[in-house]
Amino acid sequence: MALSLGASRWRVFRTVTLPLCIPGLANAFLLLFAASLADFATPLILAGNNFPVLPTQAYLQITGLFDLRGGAALSFMLLVPALGVFLLQRYWVSRRFYVTVTGKGAGQTPFDSISPAVRAALLAACAVVAATILYFYALLLYASLVQALGANHALTLRHYRVIFTEGLRVIRDTLIIAGLAMPLGGLYGILVGYLVARKPFVGRRTMELVSMINYALPGTIVGIAYLIAFNDPPIELTGTALIIIACYVFRYGATGIRATVAMLQQIDKSLEEASQGLGAGSGTTFRRVTLPLILPAFFTGLGVVFIRSMTAISATIFLVSISWTLITVRILENITELSLGPAAAYSVLVVGIVFVVIALIGRGLRWFRAPGAIPVTSMFGG
Amino acid sequence: MAIETIGVQVDGVSKRFSHRVKGEIYAARDVHLDVAPGEFLTLLGPSGCGKTTTLRMIAGFEHPDAGSIRLGGQDVTGLPANQRNMGFVFQNYALFPHLSVFDNVAYGLQVRGQAAAVIAKSVGDVLALVGLSGYEHQFSGQLSGGEQQRVALARAIVIRPRVLLFDEPLSNLDAKLRVQMRTEIRDLQRSLAITTIYVTHDQEEAMAVSDRIAVMSQGSVVQEGTAEDLYYRPASEFVATFVGRVNLVPGTLIERSGDTVTVAALGTTIRAGTAHAAVTGGAAVKLVMRPEVLELVEVGAGDFRADVISCTFLGEKTEYLLRCGDVELQCVRHNAGAVGAIREGSAVGVRVAASAVTVLPEAAR
Repeated sequence: MALSLGASRWRVFRTVTLPLCIPGLANAFLLLFAASLADFATPLILAGNNFPVLPTQAYLQITGLFDLRGGAALSFMLLVPALGVFLLQRYWVSRRFYVTVTGKGAGQTPFDSISPAVRAALLAACAVVAATILYFYALLLYASLVQALGANHALTLRHYRVIFTEGLRVIRDTLIIAGLAMPLGGLYGILVGYLVARKPFVGRRTMELVSMINYALPGTIVGIAYLIAFNDPPIELTGTALIIIACYVFRYGATGIRATVAMLQQIDKSLEEASQGLGAGSGTTFRRVTLPLILPAFFTGLGVVFIRSMTAISATIFLVSISWTLITVRILENITELSLGPAAAYSVLVVGIVFVVIALIGRGLRWFRAPGAIPVTSMFGG
Repeated sequence: MAIETIGVQVDGVSKRFSHRVKGEIYAARDVHLDVAPGEFLTLLGPSGCGKTTTLRMIAGFEHPDAGSIRLGGQDVTGLPANQRNMGFVFQNYALFPHLSVFDNVAYGLQVRGQAAAVIAKSVGDVLALVGLSGYEHQFSGQLSGGEQQRVALARAIVIRPRVLLFDEPLSNLDAKLRVQMRTEIRDLQRSLAITTIYVTHDQEEAMAVSDRIAVMSQGSVVQEGTAEDLYYRPASEFVATFVGRVNLVPGTLIERSGDTVTVAALGTTIRAGTAHAAVTGGAAVKLVMRPEVLELVEVGAGDFRADVISCTFLGEKTEYLLRCGDVELQCVRHNAGAVGAIREGSAVGVRVAASAVTVLPEAAR
């Protein structure tokens, strides 16, 4: 439109496109900031003691010095900026205008907003990033298949033999925990999402906020909080699989909540009223009208909880025990013992399992997807 | 398909909402309605007048803060929506997007636990009734707006509701289809003889379909009557201006005797057929004159003289803007043939049919 008014491409980008993108950009900045603030495994593995950050220091304080209070204090220092970022982001997002499904034809005119040279440069930049990521995965696979990366590059299946013999219990534990957390987290997401979006009750906003905080806060904080909360009676869960499952369900079920709320906001309330007007009670209405329409959110919840249960470490590293431990924790142990081969083999296994499960869930989604349901693009990110 | 015909009584129903800025506001305030069995009543009013809230209370989607609602004598005020056995047609159709046309229509029967064979027959019959045979396996996304509204109608009547409720059912359709659908709704309602309450803000639509119209404003029913009552004998300025176009001419009542009322206005005396009960001699009044009751005649003839400010030829009719003293008058004449010699700037005589003029007290808003 602005092009037709005689503006140059650069002017259009500066005065129209960029201002429209600012909420998205700001959101991305905040997300990245929060993720960097919270990241645990990356600084621990790559920097170790040379570059201490709050999450790793809190971990070392607790596991190395058995100083629960010191760890809690450190993680509380982390809590302040993390909470600030979360609330700031919520403020940004809530001010954004949601027009998702307008019912009007959504055809977009492809127009040349950028010159061919700029387009080529952007494409090249993206290609470099994508290639780098692929290279990392290839390297991971290679490291799992050679005797010792950087020293002896003879091919071997030794590392896989290791993980499928002495590591078998860890794999079994992880799969059991992820397998239990997945359906529970999916149901939790749908249930809370439905309550928040549809049922007016006192404390509704608070409930939503609290459920999201669990997700938004750095895992270190959540892990330490679970450890402290369930270390003593009345609910003594430390050392059990249940504490890990609970942590995953409540932490990562939040994605399902968000997906459910987002979908319900797009589903007009009159659909449920129509069902009631036709004689259906609220149970029948939920089962026959609401549930089929928010099924994609359920599958999203399942996927996210499973993936996170397979890959998360920051919160659960505080919750594992002799009886129940996780692949990710074992990978970290392998790294610190400098046994890169088994670590790489475990990682390849996790990547493989996650890929298979995503594919299965995607298939399930297509199988169940109602013809009129709202199309759901991947919500697995984040 | 025979449907049990019952009446609906709404007695002193009120509903308050808390508004962020305005505080407590009444969406409906002491609404009384008495709908006879088989009658087609329309709630007409501007947006925010409480008509939809009233309808939703009758359906059971909202619960009144005061008053009661009776169906055929039975008090249903506390009864949930799913036990009232009413058909509701929504503004946005509210078809279940994940179900086919057949399953949408069958939904209410399935909920009632009817046998599959009975359901198939009923759904087939009702789809034939609304002209959608053969659409059973389509989904709402594949249908046009008019077809979706027919499915919604079929879904509402297949359960043999005791009362049929419509909430602005035609507002999402284009003008031509709106006219066609309102005729279909009216015909269907007549053939089923089903008690119907219909909500719209479109006064033409209301006049086209209804036996009776209740005009609402600010949560209350301000006048009830047939379309003709409301058009020619409005009880207030609000109804006069909301239903159709109108000239409101200030004047002073000279006398009322029997059926005729004489008013000093437009520099002359005008006779009117009806007058609000509250007006008495010497009172300041407003004359309600519809644009088409002003007949243009030669200067010197008629009741008063006026200047033609503008005239707009619109094919079937011509619209004039007249001025008499400091009063501007809208006038519409239907063109029966070649257009006459009335031009902008010329003077005309105006004759008013007394029977079509109503007198309102100055304060009746």
